[in-house]
Amino acid sequence: MKPIATIILNRNLPDPTDRLYEHLARVDGDLTDVYVLEAGSDISRLSQYCSWHANDPHTQKHGLRYGRGMNYALLKLYEGRKWSNYDAFFLLTNDTELGPNKTIEPLLEILNSHRKLGIVSPCSMRWGERYLLTNDSTKYFWFIHNNALLLRREFLESIIELTSPTFMNFIFDGTNFRGYLIESELIAKAYSNDWAAAITSSVYVEENESYLLEKADLIKTDKYQENIRLYLEEGRLWIKQKYGFNSRWSMNQYAKSFYDLFFENNPELIRYRI
Amino acid sequence: MIHNKIQRLLTKKRCTLLGVGPMSINCVDAAIEISNQFESPLLLIASRRQIDSDEFGGGYVNSWTTCNFAEYVTNRDKKGKILLARDHGGPWQSELERKQRLSLRNAMDSAKRSYKADIDAGFEVIHIDPSVDIHGIPSRDEILDRIYELYEYCWSHAQRSGKEIIFEIGTEEQSGSTNTQEELDYTLQSINQFCDKNRLPRPTFVVIQTGTRVMEMRNVGSFDTPLRVMDELPAEIQVPKMIQICNEHGIFMKEHNADYLSDEALYWHPRLGIHAANVAPEFGVAESKALVKCLEEAGLNELSDDFMALAYSSKKWEKWMIKDSKASDRDRALIAGHYIFSKPECQELKAKAQRALDEKQFDLNLFLKDAVKASIYRYMSNFKLLK
Repeated sequence: MKPIATIILNRNLPDPTDRLYEHLARVDGDLTDVYVLEAGSDISRLSQYCSWHANDPHTQKHGLRYGRGMNYALLKLYEGRKWSNYDAFFLLTNDTELGPNKTIEPLLEILNSHRKLGIVSPCSMRWGERYLLTNDSTKYFWFIHNNALLLRREFLESIIELTSPTFMNFIFDGTNFRGYLIESELIAKAYSNDWAAAITSSVYVEENESYLLEKADLIKTDKYQENIRLYLEEGRLWIKQKYGFNSRWSMNQYAKSFYDLFFENNPELIRYRI
Repeated sequence: MIHNKIQRLLTKKRCTLLGVGPMSINCVDAAIEISNQFESPLLLIASRRQIDSDEFGGGYVNSWTTCNFAEYVTNRDKKGKILLARDHGGPWQSELERKQRLSLRNAMDSAKRSYKADIDAGFEVIHIDPSVDIHGIPSRDEILDRIYELYEYCWSHAQRSGKEIIFEIGTEEQSGSTNTQEELDYTLQSINQFCDKNRLPRPTFVVIQTGTRVMEMRNVGSFDTPLRVMDELPAEIQVPKMIQICNEHGIFMKEHNADYLSDEALYWHPRLGIHAANVAPEFGVAESKALVKCLEEAGLNELSDDFMALAYSSKKWEKWMIKDSKASDRDRALIAGHYIFSKPECQELKAKAQRALDEKQFDLNLFLKDAVKASIYRYMSNFKLLK
């Protein structure tokens, strides 16, 4: 049994998805099963490794995006009774670019050696956070902005919706379609349940934005600038309606307050505080 | 006393102090009037390019020397609400020192003479910024040594002259990048040690990069955007962390380049605990825009064109442009407008405009001053500086 389930979210980009799948199978295949979710992709543009194809008319037209997509795939594993086979789930989008070396093994080692970690994010060479990770390669953060996340099953079990789970609510809030501050909401939930969220420089992962910049038509998604505009406009409405927050800074303070509380309750972990 | 006054204000009101760049005589008047009207302190933060002593040929703002400027402000500031501040003093911060390619020793002596004029004129906040070096890139410890030398000089001179001053330190300008925690920790620890050892007062403010950066007529840093800025720490992490370090060292955090931030971002400044913020070019641009609007609406298009041509040809917009910018010539002229306000051609142009506007009993300078006031008001309101 492999300890990790990796989920790749794809929409109409079979080539990079296949490359990502093959890389993981080759380099990390001993530690992970890899699943590909097709979020409304055209039938002619499916990855050859497609595990599930969400193809209802709405998804065909708009896609699922991160929150709904990951809910969909994770719920499939749950309903398929595969959920408990795994210790953690590694969530990736099709524009993720991994390094040539092992990705999963160092992440799993971190998860195993930090028993309170619910979320681990690889760092990126383009992030300022890497300057905070020079002495210790893993630190706990209250803010992580990334699509590549390793989530511990035990943590997820403390927050999953089990009363009537759907792709709209299983873990992420599907009403937050474009995923504005989606990581912050997850991080706040983690710390409030006494789980931590870390970034590690033991593994570097990059996001290739050129797909969104240059191939929006092919992916059948909004143009880059339009997506940013809608991401902010719809996102601001979402945090206002859900939390009564009028600013991203409110969400940041919200997550940070649980972060601070976490270290009050776990003083032995203070060395991992940034 | 000044330090205590600021401390009382910041702890009692939990506000953010505003530093206003004296971009023009109208801007200075606007700052004095609005601070007196609302009985709220404002810092007038003069760079050496804007205002300097006679020896350095004054500055581009109203051709004021340090002494003339201080006298002008002090006479008009009836309620004593303005704090005169030197912004980015230090070696090679004057055009003249750079043009003459002064050696380190001479540039330090020159900076001291400029500070002496500041203190003699009644400047109360002294920003020591020796980060510029035209002969190379100084190491962190070399910069610290230069801070110590200038700090000690300013304090001794103030003591001898019976003047009260407080200090601002900070070694970066407009990098838009973020100080590392270690850098800040090391700097503050070293300076506090130096001050304690030499029985000098510790600095009141430290300049912190919070992810603000002014380019053209907007803020392009990470503070006001939830999107990632390459190689920068997200403001969500940087700002709370830097505030925490400042609080641990008992120093107030001062943000530079807060121009053009959104109301949302400004509103969060006092709530996040940002103690002070500087704004400069936005107020100059507000006045230039108001001038052009007034001239155009009055049908004085020729004068408007002359102003724009004069501003554009000054090329003072160049340092503000984003690489491969698509900004129009009009935008470039507006960015450079305040640099030419005190030029005789611009003065003449404004006098002509006023003569034409006299018929309508329209006071051009009053209109321009009100435009700058509105711009300053936005900050004061968001920074909780209004009573």
